[in-house]
Amino acid sequence: MWGYVRLELTRTLRDGGYVIFGIVMPVVMYLVFTNLGLAPGDKHDAAIYTMVSMAAYGALGGAFNNGSGIAEDRAAGWLRQLRLTPLTPAEVVAGKVVTGAVAVVPGIAAVLLAGVLVNHVSLPPQRWLAIVALLWAGTVPFSLLGLGNGYRLSGQSAAMANIATMLTLSILGGLWVPVGKFPSWLAAIAEWTPSNSYAGLSWRIAFGDVPTLRQVVLLSAWLLVFGVYAVYGYRRAGRRA
Amino acid sequence: MTTNTADAVSLTSATKRFGPVRAVDGLTLAIPRGQTVALLGPNGAGKSTTIALLLGLLPPDSGQAALFGLDPEQAVRQGLAGAMPQEGGLVPRVTVRELLTFVAGTYPAPLPLDRVLALARIDDLRDRRVDRLSGGQAQRVRFAMAVCGDPDLIVLDEPTAALDVEARREFWDGMRGLASQGKTILFSTHYLDEADEHADRVVVLGHGRVIADGTSAEIKRAAALTTVSVAADGESAWLATLPGVRHMEIRGGRVHLRTGDSDATVLALARADAVRDLEVAPADLEDAFVALTTKENV
Repeated sequence: MWGYVRLELTRTLRDGGYVIFGIVMPVVMYLVFTNLGLAPGDKHDAAIYTMVSMAAYGALGGAFNNGSGIAEDRAAGWLRQLRLTPLTPAEVVAGKVVTGAVAVVPGIAAVLLAGVLVNHVSLPPQRWLAIVALLWAGTVPFSLLGLGNGYRLSGQSAAMANIATMLTLSILGGLWVPVGKFPSWLAAIAEWTPSNSYAGLSWRIAFGDVPTLRQVVLLSAWLLVFGVYAVYGYRRAGRRA
Repeated sequence: MTTNTADAVSLTSATKRFGPVRAVDGLTLAIPRGQTVALLGPNGAGKSTTIALLLGLLPPDSGQAALFGLDPEQAVRQGLAGAMPQEGGLVPRVTVRELLTFVAGTYPAPLPLDRVLALARIDDLRDRRVDRLSGGQAQRVRFAMAVCGDPDLIVLDEPTAALDVEARREFWDGMRGLASQGKTILFSTHYLDEADEHADRVVVLGHGRVIADGTSAEIKRAAALTTVSVAADGESAWLATLPGVRHMEIRGGRVHLRTGDSDATVLALARADAVRDLEVAPADLEDAFVALTTKENV
């Protein structure tokens, strides 16, 4: 299985869409937002807040990209070819999940590093640890949503659907512009998005608060919904394979 | 290596329906180890479905499939089989070397990479990205994926479809090497000369059933396809009753007799003093194939 993960990671790193949406854009947007004074509030606070936003945005890019890869693999006949090797289906699925979990790391790391090195963000070590852990683990619902699209849709439309979903969730969840600047009707919607709860966990930690129960429950509920969706997509894809 | 002596491939009354279509219809086929078998048939005869059943990619609706006496999926897990589907199987953004190293790594006792590259004649492509290969090059890489694990059974669905004449010749040279190592090889093709030349045994499929099974010589004989023809001269319907004749056709001023015993037919013609501008044309497998599959349609 590790050979499979290695191959998939190699492919991911050579994927222009991944590098742009998962790593480059979040870092560039982070630096632009914070250094052109577009981020709200005190400069240091803004650097922290936007750092979390953009790390979350990059992680979403990585998570959804992994799902699009599934559709591409199916279209290329690669999933069938894998079934003709001694790898078990469980190893293939597990390998893809591990690949997705690793693929979100560079985006998160790049934005956090930009925060430290360029914007001189400093936080207590335990807060760093908690932020990294939550940003990483919190990608699971989005990975599942991306996989569901990847299983359910064909190559091109899966990629389009995933990019559109990723951008919608990023913007609506307040990752680009804080929800506080939204008109009230839009803010009301934003508070129910999984992306807002996801980033919210780390925003709270970054400023020394504890995540709210609402954020945890909401993200867990979305995890369940997207999990069911991924299983549904997988079954459908299995019938057609 | 397995120690059991079960047939490499065994399908028993296997049936697979797609909606109302019986793609494979009660098909029974046993391939002993070490045989090179060609699966021949027109499009829609059920070749690819048969291959999918025996590799465990599709479950049969009824009947059984086994490889080396094992459930096909289990045999594949043990690395006993390597296969090349008709199309696809190459992922973008990896090099030939990376792809083959990965596939080989999933097998318990793979061939060294250099051997695989030589066998598939892709030495010069090792660092090329697989999404930047020509059709023929991609075909050879797909073949390399099927053999790199050194499996006992190699299944190839239309392996030479994208190859030019020279590449096909080279491909069959490589296959001969594998066959001589005792590998069991099953390939489907609609290049009839390939089946004739490279298979120990030809299995002709039509409508999901085996309609002929034997050496290519046996199949030609079974299809009764030596053609004896003479110039037509007056009333000739009686020629259809000559010994060996199974089919008669008058075309271009000549009577064409398809016969299962050309010697007897020619002798009878001579006795009846009907030899006028005699021609005897031996059957090729293509004729046999057409005859067998059209007979099936009647």
